[in-house]
Amino acid sequence: MVPAAPSGRLKEEIIMKRRLSLSVLFSLILAVIIFPAVTQAKDIVVGTSVALTGKYARTGQEQLQGFQMWVDEVNARGGLLGRKVKLVHYDDESKPETGAKLYEKLITDDKVDLLIGPYSSDVTMAASTVAEKYHFPMVSSGASATEIWERGYKNTFGLYTLAETYMDSILEFGKSKGLKKIALIYENTAFPRGVAAGVKDKAKKLGMQVVFEEEYGKASTDFSSMIIKIKSRKPDMVIGGSYLPDSTAFMRQAKENRLFAKIFAFAVGPGLPDFGQNLGLDAEGVMGNTQWEPTLKLPGVKEFAEKYNQKYGHEPGYHAGGGYGTGQVLEAAVKKAGSTDPDKVRAALFALDIVTTFGRFKVDATGKQIGKPAYAVQWLAGERHIVLPVEAATAKAAYPFKDWGKR
Amino acid sequence: MELLEPEILLQLLIGGLLAGALYALLACGLNLIFGVMRVINLAHAELMLIGAFGAYVLFHIFGLHPLASLLIVVPAIFFVGYYLQRFLIERVVGRPMLTSLLATYGLSIILINLGLLLFSADFKSIPALQGSFLIDELAVSKPRATAGLISLLLTVGVYQFLERTRLGKAIRAVSEHAQVAAICGIDVRQIRMLTFGMAAAMAGAAGVMLSVIYSFWPGSGVDFIQKCFAIIIIGGMGNFVGAFYGGILLGVVEAFVGGFISTQWAEAAAYLLLVTVLLIRPTGLKGVARA
Repeated sequence: MVPAAPSGRLKEEIIMKRRLSLSVLFSLILAVIIFPAVTQAKDIVVGTSVALTGKYARTGQEQLQGFQMWVDEVNARGGLLGRKVKLVHYDDESKPETGAKLYEKLITDDKVDLLIGPYSSDVTMAASTVAEKYHFPMVSSGASATEIWERGYKNTFGLYTLAETYMDSILEFGKSKGLKKIALIYENTAFPRGVAAGVKDKAKKLGMQVVFEEEYGKASTDFSSMIIKIKSRKPDMVIGGSYLPDSTAFMRQAKENRLFAKIFAFAVGPGLPDFGQNLGLDAEGVMGNTQWEPTLKLPGVKEFAEKYNQKYGHEPGYHAGGGYGTGQVLEAAVKKAGSTDPDKVRAALFALDIVTTFGRFKVDATGKQIGKPAYAVQWLAGERHIVLPVEAATAKAAYPFKDWGKR
Repeated sequence: MELLEPEILLQLLIGGLLAGALYALLACGLNLIFGVMRVINLAHAELMLIGAFGAYVLFHIFGLHPLASLLIVVPAIFFVGYYLQRFLIERVVGRPMLTSLLATYGLSIILINLGLLLFSADFKSIPALQGSFLIDELAVSKPRATAGLISLLLTVGVYQFLERTRLGKAIRAVSEHAQVAAICGIDVRQIRMLTFGMAAAMAGAAGVMLSVIYSFWPGSGVDFIQKCFAIIIIGGMGNFVGAFYGGILLGVVEAFVGGFISTQWAEAAAYLLLVTVLLIRPTGLKGVARA
């Protein structure tokens, strides 16, 4: 259809409308330009991206809630340097490429004052490159792959115990029981590969043998074929460089295929309450790692765990603890620096040696965490207990893993 | 090599067949929809997840065993599908392909986000039907065996329905030529609603089965829908039996690739198989070249 030519009055109306929409547009543009400037003068803006969807969603969400608790508390205490703290966060969908874009946006577009890292080592790998490009210090919770700190960067400050040392205490425990043969499986991303590299290294030192090794993809849900192969090698220990969904699926399928070993140990998964919820009784005896537990004897842990439970209705996992600890590290660094100037904050972070609710924070010249130890947990009678190191243990380790037929 | 031991081969084969039966159940429904209305249902995997979350809710709130929840979930999703067809899909049938693709893609986005809103992005699974039967030295997974058998029963049941009943004949007639079917006095609209309902119910049943095998979250559909596309192209677009063979074939190939090469390669199996089949038989296993 061809539109009829507008009459005189109609024309006028159209012009009026155009003028109106133009002025609306201009005021919008003005608002966009002015508004951030106004908030900046008042608030300290802390920017981060966390996974709220995708594979790392569960853990990303916990981490974010940890940050938010710190933000609420610091504001209740009167803020930082007398200014209110505001958290700006985005969802990186568990994707490194999205994470990189978001950090670019946080630094250049949102012009944040302080930067917190994303969750997971592979998203951090991407985000830290952006932070480095802009010489912007980033306190990184939720990343523990060593390779992040092997690129000569000067702006990434880790909180987590490194991936490579995750399984050390469990391997030593296995060695003390006379175990020799290890089956090692891991996801093909930065953190799990780091865990695997650490396991291989430590096994060699302890004189143990890796009899099976295989990588799997991020989307893998079916491990049956892999388990059938592992079974034929008869390992003493099955160790996984894993996250929550894969470790849960693996244990489920291990039972279905009657895979037996004296020790089952996985990264991340068994350290979370969901592991027990999703597996029920089959979680019993599975070992794992934790960066932190709400039962640890560190300053403020008990209060934090209680408040968190009240606010979110569940016990905090270590990701939440890490998020909260990150806030404390930032707070200490900004106070020490006396400003939010990136150069001063960076210098303060390098010099800092404090004990937060999450544990000790002390980094080396690359920003890598060297102060914090690794803890091993085990599911016992439906609960997660710290079993190693013995000094911090809340229960004695159960050994060996009970045969599927005898449960 | 240890892998060539008959025991391990048999174990891989059984695992593959059982996984394949589940794929088949899902893909047959997808192909049924395509066959009858030439609509590619991009929201098919989300219909499956409605089934999975349905079973999850019934298990955690009412303590209902996933197998028992089949009796509630499957009819419920039949009606979801029936009315989806009535109010949404019916409007795009017969339109250019892009229109229906957009409509079902939109539907899948809405369903995923609804799922995220209701259930968050956490991975869920149902701690029921765990472990395995032991036949001699052979471990057969309980959830997979159950899922495989039920999937097989349902798929064969639907096939028999299509072949033997008057209603089934009518569905096939509409699939063959909708206008001629209408001239013969078949209520084409009603048949389409029925077809979509049936296909949705099959997806829902697959979802309930899935909930005892894998961990799932509202975004889990992507992996399955991609595999399903590969399956229906392998089997032949619009062909019910083709999708069945395609599903079984993919399950077995994935198991063996996982066993002989690695789990990582198993994920690429669907597409390698797709390319191979297309090179040898461009119309798919059961497809017929159309003018």
